[in-house]
Amino acid sequence: MLPTPKFSNLDFDKVYEPAEDTFLLLDCFEGQIQYLNTQFGPGSTPVITEIGTGSGVVTTFVCQHVFPYGIVLSTDINPHACLAFMDTVTENSIVNPTVDTLQMSLTSGIRPNAIDVLIFNPPYVPAEEVPQIPESLQDSKWLDLALSGGEDGMEVTWILLHQLDHILSKKVGIAYILFCARNKPEEVANYMRQQGWIVDVVIHRKAGWEVLSILRFKRNES
Amino acid sequence: MKFLTTNFVKCAIKTCDSSIDAFPLQYTECELVQQEQDYNPEFIVHMLERIQWDALISVARDLGNDGLPANKPEGLDAIIEDDQAILKDLHTLLLETHIVNGKMTCKHCNHVYHIKNSIPNFLLPPHLA
Ligand SMILES: C[S@@+](CC[C@H](N)C(=O)[O-])C[C@H]1O[C@@H](n2cnc3c(N)ncnc32)[C@H](O)[C@@H]1O
Ligand SMILES: [Zn+2]
Repeated sequence: MLPTPKFSNLDFDKVYEPAEDTFLLLDCFEGQIQYLNTQFGPGSTPVITEIGTGSGVVTTFVCQHVFPYGIVLSTDINPHACLAFMDTVTENSIVNPTVDTLQMSLTSGIRPNAIDVLIFNPPYVPAEEVPQIPESLQDSKWLDLALSGGEDGMEVTWILLHQLDHILSKKVGIAYILFCARNKPEEVANYMRQQGWIVDVVIHRKAGWEVLSILRFKRNES
Repeated sequence: MKFLTTNFVKCAIKTCDSSIDAFPLQYTECELVQQEQDYNPEFIVHMLERIQWDALISVARDLGNDGLPANKPEGLDAIIEDDQAILKDLHTLLLETHIVNGKMTCKHCNHVYHIKNSIPNFLLPPHLA
């Protein structure tokens, strides 16, 4: 098993602390190395975006072990997460020369059809509503955005899925998105298949009372 | 934020999506810092495939660099000496030049985005989101 990136100086009152979902993503990418290498060819420079990087552990792992030469543009809505991301990248001495963090919602500030590999561990917990974006950096509620996903825990994820065709590059274009059972991932997968996507469950695991799974969405070239 | 990243970011406002003026943004009042990176010519060659050259020229101009060739250099080879010089320049510009603070303005709707402590902020106020 490949080592987990280090993250020692982060304030988990402000930034999502790596948890079962995070580690499932790391295991997912450990298992996808060969697949991704055949999709892009070793040494290639795909554009990689993790939405909602939180601590930055997943992006760091992907830089270390999957795409040492990717162009990495990771986003989070939470400014504390963007800062944490920079700390984590530095702490793990990432040598990839192109890692940047951007504060935005989803990929709203990235040009269309530019991203080859998209990664998202969304706020997936069912909740009354998706929290408002706090107005100031000092606000204590930034972390709420990490968890509460509104109806079925799917409100943020659906926004992304409906834009997927517009976000992913036309050439390859692969998205990895994490779901919990209450998100009804089979229904989501079926809907997306009807829209012409190839959808596979690449990994799933029982984590406490949750069942987490990661779905891979890929363009159907034929 | 690395100079390279300017080639991938656009105005976050939905109604600007269909406008060709929403990318690239216009860069003003930028504070630049050079930070050394390992030089890997192969990597620059691969990376060039992903670059929109006209946008690169436009942002370089905003930041006071008029030295880029008008057309994207094709078929560069890291072994040829002349190509080496171009690759090294691109390395310095794209990967070693950081915008630490500055403003990015959409040429379509004039919305201003800020870069602070190297992090660009594309969050919109609720009435524009
Ligand atoms: C469940 S946490 C995952 C954090 C990290 N990727 C991990 O796996 O440990 C969800 C993250 O998404 C961010 N987030 C929530 N809504 C977002 C949005 N609309 N756009 C970008 N990021 C968002 C949160 O701030 C949080 O960092
Ligand atoms: Zn605009």
